[in-house]
Amino acid sequence: MKSTTYSEKTLDHFRNPRNVGTLEGPDVAVGKVGNPVCGDLMYMYIRVKDDRIADIRFQTFGCGSAVATSSMTTELVKGMTLNEAMKVTRGDVADALDGLPPIKMHCSNLAADALHDAIKAWREGRAGEKPAPPKTSDIPATCGPETGPSDIEGADTLLGKGVHDGLADPSAFADKRVLVVDRGKPSVDAALELTKHTGRVIFLSPTVEPSSKDDPRTPLKRSDVKVIYEARPIAVLGEGEVEKVRVHDLREDEEYELFIDAVLILA
Amino acid sequence: MRPWFTERYGNPSSLHLDGDEATAALESSREKVARFIGAGSEEIIFTSGATESNNLAVIGYVTGNRRKGDHVVIAESEHISIHNIAKHIEKQGFKVSRVGVDQYGRVSVDKLRRKITDATILVSIGWASSEIGTIQPIREIAEALRGKGIALHSDAVAALGLAPIDVGAVPVDLLTLSSNDIYGPKGLGALYIRKNVHIAPIMPGGGQERGLRSGGEAIPAIVGMAAAAEIMTSEMPAEVARLAQYRDRLIEGVLDRIPRTYLNGHPRERLPNNAHFRFDAVEGESLLLSLKDKGIAASTGSACSSKTLEPSHTLIACGLLHEEAHGSLEFTFGRWSKPEDTDRVLEALPGIVARLRALSPLYDKEVAP
Repeated sequence: MKSTTYSEKTLDHFRNPRNVGTLEGPDVAVGKVGNPVCGDLMYMYIRVKDDRIADIRFQTFGCGSAVATSSMTTELVKGMTLNEAMKVTRGDVADALDGLPPIKMHCSNLAADALHDAIKAWREGRAGEKPAPPKTSDIPATCGPETGPSDIEGADTLLGKGVHDGLADPSAFADKRVLVVDRGKPSVDAALELTKHTGRVIFLSPTVEPSSKDDPRTPLKRSDVKVIYEARPIAVLGEGEVEKVRVHDLREDEEYELFIDAVLILA
Repeated sequence: MRPWFTERYGNPSSLHLDGDEATAALESSREKVARFIGAGSEEIIFTSGATESNNLAVIGYVTGNRRKGDHVVIAESEHISIHNIAKHIEKQGFKVSRVGVDQYGRVSVDKLRRKITDATILVSIGWASSEIGTIQPIREIAEALRGKGIALHSDAVAALGLAPIDVGAVPVDLLTLSSNDIYGPKGLGALYIRKNVHIAPIMPGGGQERGLRSGGEAIPAIVGMAAAAEIMTSEMPAEVARLAQYRDRLIEGVLDRIPRTYLNGHPRERLPNNAHFRFDAVEGESLLLSLKDKGIAASTGSACSSKTLEPSHTLIACGLLHEEAHGSLEFTFGRWSKPEDTDRVLEALPGIVARLRALSPLYDKEVAP
């Protein structure tokens, strides 16, 4: 079955998703699953009254099946008690949609999990909280002064061969893919400066996305800098010159490689 | 090609009259295909398609020239067929280096030069990317390799009929061609092998095609491919200009009408039939489905629509993050494209992207509408 061979019901929920949006208030709990890196991210908002789901909304970034399963889940569980809703499985959601292509059963059928996460949040007394990425407790709130390139594997060896410790000549970065490692405000300024010289500037920060206007990283939001929060560079890779960086995604505790031409690690 | 299925059913390897007729058709087809790329007819071998041609070129070349060295260089942006062949020869004991590409998917000649060692015997770089449309600096690469005793293979299927290919002007040693990329019958390809370049056959058998590709020739398909190549040659200049016009209007229109949208691939060194975009905060398969509802066919580099659930390695090689690759969308134009097709896309796409962004938790409404 091709990935796009969806049932009519699935297509209907994709085309006309029910209960899209967010909810707010002291009686609202939020559940989250997925990761944009994998192509799926889902938030499920439930308003609970007398132990029942009085209202429900979702937001989804994902493929057709991710959208349709989110929509179907909201329809299925609206009005249910929390206990009943906890028993709704991914399989129930897929059945209600007249089935999903096999390849989508595991990767894009996460809506029930997001719902369960929301119920869990409610039961743990986390109602009224804004959706926050999980596992943030072990991420430092700010990026402390670090010792320089040496704590990133390969950065010393490739210093001057694509690894830079300063922005002496920004024009040297013309048309290059530059990764700027978060070193506080000077590195933010450097990233913004670099956008005048190249179209591809990536800023890698171990912190969570700032919500305060005073955070030095906030100006990046309205710039052409591509910001990756909650991630650290582990290694700079390349034979004689920079080719890639290995990045640790702190939120998912996963590693991946990113092709780039230059790395800026301010001393 | 029709008579060659039935009335003229001879085998070129036979000595009877029907066989002679088939041999004549085979050789005149070979000449037409050779002419298509400026080659001599003795330099063309027919195969079952681009995959086999790539296998014969790379595996045939490295096994036939092992005494000269054991190192091969390919580009990170190569078609998956070349990547898998590279993994295969690594298991046979060859060493493979993969040269990176820039953010537009182009190989830098300097970086390629730095990958070359004394043991390098073959470089394989596709003429252009069928996915993001970027055309490689093949002439510069060929010049950089000149006199070094290193053969250059290029999988040219994406560029056939869309970019001028003349092996007289650009000295590649091996070139992969396919019939279905020039509107010919499917299941046929060819390999150009420059005179005096030695390769070993990879499939033992009856010794057809100068002993390099055993197996009875698919005469009807070969006649069809030759006819397709002739049509392609005569139509190419007008067709390239026509498609480039559609492409440019689509690229300009999409970037202009949809905020936070980017062009993937090279802005200028680009196939005339290819427009490849990425959109912040939407996923490619959702875009495809929505376009399909409007009768528009496109492709995506998103993992969600692939068999492997991995995003396009070409987009990753360009330096895109996984989530950016997921939001990519490819349009290609062809012989039957009409100017209205661009109008329809420009009409439908802004609304589709806006609808999916309204659903998406990743889209920051503060930053852009």
